[in-house]
Amino acid sequence: MGKYILKRLVVSVITIFLIATITFFMMRAIPGGPFTRERPVPPEILRQLEAKYNLDAPLSEQYVDYMIGLFTFNMGPSFSKIGVEVNELILGGIPASATVGSFAVILIIGIGIPFGIISALKQNKPIDYAVMFLATLGVTVPSFVVATFIIFFFAGRLGWLPTFGIKQPLGYVGPTIALAGYSLSFVTRLTRSSMLEVLRQDYIRTARANGIPEWVVIAKHAVKNALIPVVTYIGPMVAGILTGSFVIEKIFLIPGIGAYFVESITNRDYTTIMAITAFYAAFYILMVLIVDVAYAFIDPRIRFERGSR
Amino acid sequence: MGDKDIDMNKEKFTFVSEEEKLREDTRPSLTYWADAWRRLKKNRLAMVGLAGVILVMLFGVVGPYFFEASYSDQRNDLRNLPPRLELYEIGDDVFAYVTRDYNFLIVEEETGEMFNVERVNQEEVMSGRIDVDEVLSPSQIREQRDAVEKTNVNFYQLDDEIIELDYANKLAAGDIEPEDFYKITYKGNTVEKPSVTVRNKAYPFGTDGLGRDLLIRVMYGARISLLVAFIATLVNFIIGVTYGAIAGYEGGQTDTIMMRIVDIINSVPLTLYIILLMVMVKSSGGLGTIILALGTVYWVGMARLVRGQVLALKEQEYILAARALGVSTRKIVFKHLVPNAMGPIIVSMTMMIPSAIFTESFLSFIGLGVSAPMASWGTLANNALSGILTYPYQLFFPAFAIAITMLSFNFLGDGLRDALDPRLRKG
Repeated sequence: MGKYILKRLVVSVITIFLIATITFFMMRAIPGGPFTRERPVPPEILRQLEAKYNLDAPLSEQYVDYMIGLFTFNMGPSFSKIGVEVNELILGGIPASATVGSFAVILIIGIGIPFGIISALKQNKPIDYAVMFLATLGVTVPSFVVATFIIFFFAGRLGWLPTFGIKQPLGYVGPTIALAGYSLSFVTRLTRSSMLEVLRQDYIRTARANGIPEWVVIAKHAVKNALIPVVTYIGPMVAGILTGSFVIEKIFLIPGIGAYFVESITNRDYTTIMAITAFYAAFYILMVLIVDVAYAFIDPRIRFERGSR
Repeated sequence: MGDKDIDMNKEKFTFVSEEEKLREDTRPSLTYWADAWRRLKKNRLAMVGLAGVILVMLFGVVGPYFFEASYSDQRNDLRNLPPRLELYEIGDDVFAYVTRDYNFLIVEEETGEMFNVERVNQEEVMSGRIDVDEVLSPSQIREQRDAVEKTNVNFYQLDDEIIELDYANKLAAGDIEPEDFYKITYKGNTVEKPSVTVRNKAYPFGTDGLGRDLLIRVMYGARISLLVAFIATLVNFIIGVTYGAIAGYEGGQTDTIMMRIVDIINSVPLTLYIILLMVMVKSSGGLGTIILALGTVYWVGMARLVRGQVLALKEQEYILAARALGVSTRKIVFKHLVPNAMGPIIVSMTMMIPSAIFTESFLSFIGLGVSAPMASWGTLANNALSGILTYPYQLFFPAFAIAITMLSFNFLGDGLRDALDPRLRKG
């Protein structure tokens, strides 16, 4: 067990290292630099600026610097936001992104799984059709459409919600729903199909034949096993919800990390790009790792030694 | 029971004709694909999906040929026209429409064609009305003019007649309440309410902020979105199948290394990479870039799937036979292994197309998609965002197109999965 986790951790660090390397060279391959302006900066000033940010050093030296910076969690100042450390930028963006993200995750788990189970138990009944209809709709409508619809209808026409920002508590409703929409539908569908499969298994019939009360059969025997594939999906999903929230943050004007990422690329803000990419990647890998370990805990059939997912 | 005498009268029996004898045992033997098609046809939802896919493709591929206008034609006077028009009947069979930015249009009842009516300066209109028989000082003229000058009124000239448009009500209502209308005076008659609401015949989906026909733009958007999706899926297919098949067939160390690489790629948040890649190669032009970005990033799932299939298939006897006959490795992989794994591959491709459309529209939405004046559904949705409260139809049509396409491909994919691989049948 410990050996397995250790092995996975080592692989994770290597992966983050590779990701950072690729990002570094991709980023430097983008034409233009952080100080490219419409009106060219005078060469002396440019030289000064580049010297200040160490951009005149050979690429290999810069690469080493960035890597050291990354692994010591100190990327230095942002290029485009004068006087702001990259760390401050990320730490400043985390609360907003994380709050909306965790509301979305709570919504997904709290609604998706129960409705998936109900839908499976009432297979081919009206409630099943209704839930599946909504779930199919949720998978087919892109999040930005959901978001704009919420703004148009609930904020614009009915005036129930603020149109943007998260200053008021109600402001969280729109982004949360828009962010959760797709995964919520997916989790509902996944739970339902997995539950249906489990309910057909022999041990469920045995449990029922033994006279165990129906709700115990469902809660204790069926749901526990049906949730295994759902858990596998939820891990990367949690990371994905946070990394894939550029659009939602843009539409609802939420001051989160997602907004900074797109902005930093257009500004060629090298330090910020590196830091955010590495942060996202590390978070993503961590979530996958947690799920894999949790997965092995839930399901004893999975042997750690077999390694990769 | 045994010795019961049965009356067997020979005359009651006749010989079966040769044809009938044949018919009995000739249930045609079905190939894998024919069998799958037969099963797919029984699945009503899948057929709906198939019909939807064909319709969307026809819409995008054939649709634009029915219209003369192109996706980039602009009519500056016909901006932001909704698909339904509230018309004011200002004279006998003279219908007028006023856009939100006070463009005054005369609408032909039959064809739905629209003409812009020229706006005239308020001062010019006033100077015509002011009695200038007696000589007045400039200050007197100004006084007199102030007396008749109206605020919140625009003037338009139609065939030497002046039309007065009073938008005070509209202004007071903040442009949201639908009950508040313009007051239009033409030839002395004042109309206070629109009399009919008709379909916009000239622009069934309305026009966008630059006066471009939304129907045509959605059609071209379909072209671009589908093109991107199909080519990206094809690229994914080629890379994924080749990679997965080689890893699965070679096995051993090769397999381990290749799959380790896949694991690493799989743990990369791909959205970040697509964005970086898009910005990096942006200078080479929109469409190619987006196809490249999508095509090179999403093959990982396909590679895993094919590897799994190949691992199982390569143990079968026919592969052993092929090897014993000295068939080359390449031929074994591409002639014997891949075609037999085609079922799951096709299912996964059908599912990949909608996710490519999704990603493409997402990229276009954050401004990294195809460049203007070309537009995909995502770009159209993005353009509509700024005016969502006033012109919701501009978002509705592209969003609806995306939803229909996604739904169709999803239904078709589910059906194909059931048809091609009954073992995976869900629910």
